[in-house]
Amino acid sequence: MRNMIQAVVTAVVMLLLPGSASAQAPPEGTEEFGLTRAQLVQSVEKVEALISKCMREQGFEYVAADYNTVRKGMAADKNLPGLSEEEFIAKYGFGVSTLYTGQPPQLAEGYSPAKVGLGERNVQIYKNLSPADQVAYNRALFGGNIGETFAVGLETENFSRIGGCTRKAIEQVFEPEQLKVTYYNPKDALVNKDPRMKAALRYYAREMRKAGYEYNHPDEVEPDIRERLAAITNGGTIPVEKMSPEQRAALKKLQDYERRVAAKNFQLQKEVFEPVEERILEELFARKPK
Amino acid sequence: MASLRIESPADVAARAAPPTPSPILVPVEERVLNSNIVTRGTARFGLPQPISIVPSALKAKAGLITTLPLRNTQLREGGVILTASGRPVFVLQGTIPAYRDLVPGMSGDDVRQLEQGLNRLRFDPGPVDGTYDERTSAAVTQWYTSAGFEPFGPTPDQLAAAAAAAAARRAVDAARARAEHANKAAAAEIQAMIAERALIVLDPRQPETARAAAEAKLELARAAARKAQLEGELEVQAALDAQEAALRNAKLAADRVDRLAADVDIAKRTLGVQVPADEIVFIPTLPARVQEVTALVGHEARGPVMSVTDNQLVIDSALPLDAAPLVKPGMPVAIDEQALGIKATGVVTRVADTPGTHGVDGYHIYFEVRVDKTPTRLEGFSLRLTIPIKSTKGVVTVVPLSALSLAADGTSRVQVARDGALEYIVVKPGLSADGFVEVTPVNGPLAPGQLVVVGYKNPENRDLQ
Repeated sequence: MRNMIQAVVTAVVMLLLPGSASAQAPPEGTEEFGLTRAQLVQSVEKVEALISKCMREQGFEYVAADYNTVRKGMAADKNLPGLSEEEFIAKYGFGVSTLYTGQPPQLAEGYSPAKVGLGERNVQIYKNLSPADQVAYNRALFGGNIGETFAVGLETENFSRIGGCTRKAIEQVFEPEQLKVTYYNPKDALVNKDPRMKAALRYYAREMRKAGYEYNHPDEVEPDIRERLAAITNGGTIPVEKMSPEQRAALKKLQDYERRVAAKNFQLQKEVFEPVEERILEELFARKPK
Repeated sequence: MASLRIESPADVAARAAPPTPSPILVPVEERVLNSNIVTRGTARFGLPQPISIVPSALKAKAGLITTLPLRNTQLREGGVILTASGRPVFVLQGTIPAYRDLVPGMSGDDVRQLEQGLNRLRFDPGPVDGTYDERTSAAVTQWYTSAGFEPFGPTPDQLAAAAAAAAARRAVDAARARAEHANKAAAAEIQAMIAERALIVLDPRQPETARAAAEAKLELARAAARKAQLEGELEVQAALDAQEAALRNAKLAADRVDRLAADVDIAKRTLGVQVPADEIVFIPTLPARVQEVTALVGHEARGPVMSVTDNQLVIDSALPLDAAPLVKPGMPVAIDEQALGIKATGVVTRVADTPGTHGVDGYHIYFEVRVDKTPTRLEGFSLRLTIPIKSTKGVVTVVPLSALSLAADGTSRVQVARDGALEYIVVKPGLSADGFVEVTPVNGPLAPGQLVVVGYKNPENRDLQ
């Protein structure tokens, strides 16, 4: 009886409060995957230690990267010296197909967040291997998608394309649902549930369709580009200079598409999502400034 | 409604108190423990070496390559590795590379190598003495013919040189005959002069009346004889001088004849079947396997054309400096690559003495593994190498490493669940590998299946998971 009364009272209170989202407890952390800073540091260190152990079992050396190195790798995503985010997107889109070389990240000369996130010592270890060992090393570390590193996965909050020892290690530290492509961190999930955000998403989908793109959420665009690139390049294993004329043409087409869709996506994010998200977050975290 | 929100301090404390941690128990096991070194290496075939074709002095220019072997082709002794302008390039086993044309009359270790090869191919070259004689030539002829090729005979230049040498010999024979004739003529002239003087000076049948005249004649004859003698002496001297000159000429001519005769003999002997330098290659070990073909059909058959290896698979690998002293030649190696489903075995054949050799960096030591015979094609693959360093050599009692803790007195112990309670048992730890440690109980029983504590579970604490 007491439980019944408590449930009724809770329901009344919930109905009286404005906005369903604000009735729920805000997430603990504001870092990637809804982790607190401390949790993120611990998770990074655990994952890196487990990657190192797994690689050792495969007969390879891997020096567990520290948090700062992984963080640098995360920060390097869509970031080139001298370019603002807007300029980067205008020039390179998401930097996925536009900056694709087909080289393993360890051998990349220019833009490569994956290389930064691996750390210099691991890059040197890789460079000292024979060509056959280099192939096996990256297969052991990344699985089928070369260059999908832990740092890049953390930054994009998408572990779905990660394989090899990196995935094995992530699976032991992160929850199973966090590894799914559909995963949203608690903060983003809360924001997405807000009616204002839902309206913004409907507007986004409409505008994108008008521009000729079939996306319902801004987070769908970059993974789609990655999938398309992987299909052309056999999981990122074909260097540009070894591509067939058909593959080159397909890559060029994808690069043009990436630039256009990224620019539109960025424009809508600035115009529509950011003001709405800012307002919702203000309401959610007003009493808990971080 | 407000009463529902009111809680006593005891309730709050009870709600806020951490849950009682529950032990995580795992069973004691019995198993063989192996301490391994795990590393990586790339498989390759052994003894890689380039194959080059040396230009032949017997040919005006190198032939154009008409056929080439494919990669992985097995090269066997006496076989043809390629053809150039319809001529074969044979392979024989030998450590001395082909550096000159092998022709009749020649001798040396390369000829001996050729004879040994012909012997192995059952083409009898006669005694294996390092001399290219007629029997060697015959064996080479059989070898070429059996492979479907014409043996390489004398060239037009060689034939012209031999003809010139023969003409020179004939000219010297004629010169010698002329010299002998001159010599004999000189000797006859001397004899005639002596006889003529004797007739005039020594004739006793001349009469008294004629004596004066005879004396006068004698005097005249003597004078004539002296004159003749003097003339004869002069003639003899001239003849002797002529003879000496003729003999000198004859000797010179004979010397020239002897020299030319030797040349003719060599020319005659070198006119047999030959092995041009660009039609043979020597490889130290056969059969060999074609590793890479660098020449192209239509290009000149000269210089490096391909590389070959032997058929023994080896794996090049490296060890960190701390692990290297644990690995010794002769140690067995388990070879695998999970991603490719490869499994094989091998033996450590070599461990370098110093770091940084054989292309590894200065923080590693090179070592080589010989792969045991396997039907799997491993060449070029990166393979995992597991080298057992230490083993318990039998089943022993083991617990997870995390079950072992150190007591205040320095002894090692494990916490065992018995009859619903936990109790410590002092153990003596042994070999540790694969996350387990061998333990020997010191002050209590420890049997397989018994549960030991490896940690405590606190579901509220995410960080302990």
